[in-house]
Amino acid sequence: MTGYEVPRKFPTTVVGSYPKLEPAKIALKRLRKGEASEEELRPFFEQAIRIAVEDQVKAGVDIISDGEQTREDMVVFFAERVEGYMPGEWVKIFDNVYFRKPIIYSQVKWVRPLTVEDWKTATRFSMGRPVKGILTGPYTMIEWSFDLHYRDRYEAIIALAKEIRKEIEALVNAGAKYIQVDEPALSTRPWREEAEIAGEALKILFKGIEAKKIVHICFGRVEEILPYILDYPVDQFDLEFKNSDFRLLPYLKEYGYDKELGYGVIDVHTTQIETVEEILESIDRLMKLDILPPEKVYIDPDCGLKRLPRDIALAKLKNMVEAAKIARERW
Amino acid sequence: MKVWGMVLGGYPRGRLARYSLRDRERGTIRSSQFSVEMLKTHAEVIGVQKAAGLPVVVDGMIGWHDIFRPFIRNWRNVSVDGLLRYFDNNFFYRIPVFTGEPDIIEPVWPGRVAEFSLLADPARLKIVLPGPVTMALMSKNKAGLSTEELAERIAYLLRREVELTLEYNVYVQIDEPILSMRNAEEHWAGLAVELANNIISGVEDRSIIAVYFDFPSKKILETLLGVRAKYVSLDIVDSPRRAEENALPLDDHVPVVGVVDGRRIHEDRISDTILSIIKKLSGSGDEIVLTTTTWMDLIPFRYALKKTNILGRMVDFIAERLGGEAVKLWR
Ligand SMILES: [Zn+2]
Repeated sequence: MTGYEVPRKFPTTVVGSYPKLEPAKIALKRLRKGEASEEELRPFFEQAIRIAVEDQVKAGVDIISDGEQTREDMVVFFAERVEGYMPGEWVKIFDNVYFRKPIIYSQVKWVRPLTVEDWKTATRFSMGRPVKGILTGPYTMIEWSFDLHYRDRYEAIIALAKEIRKEIEALVNAGAKYIQVDEPALSTRPWREEAEIAGEALKILFKGIEAKKIVHICFGRVEEILPYILDYPVDQFDLEFKNSDFRLLPYLKEYGYDKELGYGVIDVHTTQIETVEEILESIDRLMKLDILPPEKVYIDPDCGLKRLPRDIALAKLKNMVEAAKIARERW
Repeated sequence: MKVWGMVLGGYPRGRLARYSLRDRERGTIRSSQFSVEMLKTHAEVIGVQKAAGLPVVVDGMIGWHDIFRPFIRNWRNVSVDGLLRYFDNNFFYRIPVFTGEPDIIEPVWPGRVAEFSLLADPARLKIVLPGPVTMALMSKNKAGLSTEELAERIAYLLRREVELTLEYNVYVQIDEPILSMRNAEEHWAGLAVELANNIISGVEDRSIIAVYFDFPSKKILETLLGVRAKYVSLDIVDSPRRAEENALPLDDHVPVVGVVDGRRIHEDRISDTILSIIKKLSGSGDEIVLTTTTWMDLIPFRYALKKTNILGRMVDFIAERLGGEAVKLWR
């Protein structure tokens, strides 16, 4: 489906996740308990994706996502569907909250498309708006898994990159024009050698891929790895700015940043809704530094919206879209 | 050469502890029943350490959500705020917020020590304290104090914990993981040493200062050796290359060497590199303590128990390799 024209200046987008909607919550719970198969639960997930998409369309977001409604967790989802992984046991993530940290026990292997159905479902309801294909990157997957097979992190990351690439190919074959790889773990060890490992993996993922290639990194000390990631084979970095009070901005200038930028202007860690003026101010702040033309700036939240209540997430997106509209006049 | 072992810090929660904590949050368990349930896990982890022959044991700190929390809960003028990533882990601690000079409402350790010393016998119990510098730097300081003043005040309160547990002859460990960060500043180390010396005054010969998650820089390590604690604990497995580069003989300190990976679940092995780092750290000393690289609270419970056994076996193995004598609880 085509027909929707993404604005040339300041297109708006999302990082990926949307608050889990009721049908998805029910389906994930039943799936986890083994009460029903993924196939049987598909209608619930489709309904959840539909609502997530409709919310984004209602807010006026240009490039949307499936809201990651089928993903219990950004790592667990992929680990459960790639061969070589086994289900993990509970590991603390904060307070008395846990996640099942997956375990690699043999060679990893992609056996079937993982996200393509969700992407297609989202596209069906998107009213022509492009839907991003979004994947958790191999660096983060390995960092947030236990590895009993490879022993060497580099080897594991590269092996997984080769498999995740197959998913990217599947998405592009299905028609995805935007592919985003999420690498939040990269900001936790902001060192040159780590950035280089992730860079090698990205080369494998994206070589010859005909789509907009995006990598999302968030939180942590991104400014420290910035000089080492600028030559990554991607079109766009999607980064968090609002939460860290735009600390990263001067570094973009300093390092002569010239790729497209996914500019995070919505704090996903607070329920306080950014006003249109506030978001506009954030956009102005970037533009006044004269780093990038408005055609290279994508306006989006800092990170996924999954931890916010739905009404807050929607309200934040609406204001973001509104601010981008005004910015298009201004810049 | 005497070689012995102790676990560095906290244990994860098994099913029983997770459910008991959940029930307490929901208010569906009586506090006496809750204590009984938690005691079962504490007894189990203490038992496993004793069975592994470790002469000094931890109680497992099973109920602690993070290293700062029990202190925050028991102090005045400090509360907790949002979540922040804890070093490079996929784990988040709650940020302490100091709104005034903190003071003790109730000490954390004396009650625990009274409760667990008998269980630990004939092993000695170790109490673990958050390093005042790490805590001050990882908090929000709205107390109207400088960072140094806040750290000093924290140290003063931690000193009380030591004084109130004196009669039990416990080992005292001060955790300053922030000194392992690659952007750690030398004056942090200087302050950490000064404050640690105050906290452990009178119990130097059974005190440990612990730096982990990475190996500190040479400068930081040199500064750290100003500490009067007999034991200096370093994590040499997380980044063996850095450890190899920066390791130096610990003068008149006994090295406590993190050789069992506390954050990963594979079977640990001792490479020649690791052995040579151990030798370098011990210099001409005649005592070496082996430990886990970090707390084990971020791996599944049964793996933490397994790692405890591995640590016990490692004591024998390394003693043999170094031509020394393994000092085990039961020998
Ligand atoms: Zn993110």
